[in-house]
Amino acid sequence: MPAAEQITASLIRDNIARAVGDVFKTMLGREPKLTPVPENSIDKVWPTQSPLAENPRPHVVGTVGFIGDANGLIYLYLDLGFARHCTCHLLGMTEEELNEAGDEVINDAIGELTNMTVGSFKNGLCDAGYPCKLTIPSILHGSNFTIEPISSVTRYIYHFDCGGHRIIADVLMKQDD
Amino acid sequence: MRYKILTVDDSKTVRIIVRKAFKTYDCEILEAGNGVEGLALASKENPDLILLDVTMPVMDGVEMLTKLKSDPQLKGIPVMMLTAEGGRDNVLKIAKIGVRDYLVKPFKEDVLIEKAGRIIDLKPLSEAPAKAKSIFDPADILVVEDKPVIIQQIQEGLKHTPWKFHGVSTQGEAIDCCTRTPPDLMLVSLSLPEESAFTLFRLIRTNVKTKYTPVFALVVKTETAQQQQAQTVGFSAIVTKPIDLGELESKMAKAMNLDTSQRYYAIEGDSMIMRLPENCSPGVIAEAATYLKPKFAEAVDAGHNKVVIDIHQIRSLHMGVIKLLFQAMQTCRELAMQFALVANPQIVAECKGFEDTRGWTFYDSLADAKANLGKAPQLAAV
Repeated sequence: MPAAEQITASLIRDNIARAVGDVFKTMLGREPKLTPVPENSIDKVWPTQSPLAENPRPHVVGTVGFIGDANGLIYLYLDLGFARHCTCHLLGMTEEELNEAGDEVINDAIGELTNMTVGSFKNGLCDAGYPCKLTIPSILHGSNFTIEPISSVTRYIYHFDCGGHRIIADVLMKQDD
Repeated sequence: MRYKILTVDDSKTVRIIVRKAFKTYDCEILEAGNGVEGLALASKENPDLILLDVTMPVMDGVEMLTKLKSDPQLKGIPVMMLTAEGGRDNVLKIAKIGVRDYLVKPFKEDVLIEKAGRIIDLKPLSEAPAKAKSIFDPADILVVEDKPVIIQQIQEGLKHTPWKFHGVSTQGEAIDCCTRTPPDLMLVSLSLPEESAFTLFRLIRTNVKTKYTPVFALVVKTETAQQQQAQTVGFSAIVTKPIDLGELESKMAKAMNLDTSQRYYAIEGDSMIMRLPENCSPGVIAEAATYLKPKFAEAVDAGHNKVVIDIHQIRSLHMGVIKLLFQAMQTCRELAMQFALVANPQIVAECKGFEDTRGWTFYDSLADAKANLGKAPQLAAV
């Protein structure tokens, strides 16, 4: 069984690009494109700048972990407006109905989109020889906040353009003990 | 029968998507948020299908599935996994416990319906429409035939109908069409190469969207073995070539459950008009007879008590027509309706030749009949 350190940046990039693409296309009929990232940023190790530093708008962030031969956590950032739009589309609701239903519904919908995305990502790792299982999703709401992982993780941040909306996938891969 | 489908998922979003996917089908959706609730609901409701997530709090899907399969009362309930957990090893491990199917998230609602339709006999709610479609309503007909001339013949011969005919020549094209928009009826040529007509038929019947679509087999009259095979596998009707287009139209209307009464019965002004067509085949007579009493009763109920029986288009009189006319006149009497007959000179002459019809009086035109209804003494039909 290969060591988790051998999971390459390109395997992570390919998997997250495929996962985000599959989930947003299948569930929402959208085609997110991985936007080019500046040189050397893929393998950057924490500390790094908050993904929201240049975008102070309110965001909804879904997070799901995976544990097993590969361990890690993925945060999926969507700005609140886009998160609301995705929720309406997913559940067949109007904006008014969503206002009545409240934030719980948005949390659950974004939690599920994150669960599907991380599931698809980690299924790629399983098939590459790193069996692992999903954890239960959780949700963060807020503006301009920074998530600071512990030092033993490698962080990969990917930006996607989804018809003018930005999706950020923040992948934290834990190193073997 | 209304099927019960239990969705067990900690995500309300998924449960709503499942409910949305099945809303046009005749089934009841039950919801549980974890394995414990799922088992309790399964025991209480005995669902026909369980859609089960894996990662859930309290009790996960694998534990619920294991408990379900070890319970003699519940182990027979088919389970389809609906989960983001899709790694090969995990799928194999879960499949060994006993599941009927496995759908990995993200999923399309169509795929969920198709897979569920393979386990339970899902019926669209529209199977019982509030209002019957009539022969004047449009319908989509898919003709699968590798000989363009046959498609052309059907399109030309039935161009007076409001039906839209779409011709394709291969099994693949037919499947694509059915996936995009399921037709109201299909005509499939049995002469497609490599028995692909029968393969296509099986695919149509396993797809939940087309499993109840009427499918007619087109076959050369002398190919009796193929006709027999088509009947055995369950084609809705066999249409032999050369095609009798009148008969085909009639069979198609019947298969699509169309209300054809307007071919024979209409309210014009203050009268009900019963009109028989030029060619009164036994099928036509039977069809007209089916609607006779209800249509006359409907007219009376709506305040119309005059009937004009118009047979001027008929080319020759035969016993079927005579019996139908007797039945119509008898119904008029029972309902206290006044009636008059309209026919062409040939039919009038033929009626003089039969003892039973000799006493019938005819008008030359609809206008004459209408004008004289109520004035003339009631016609006697012995």
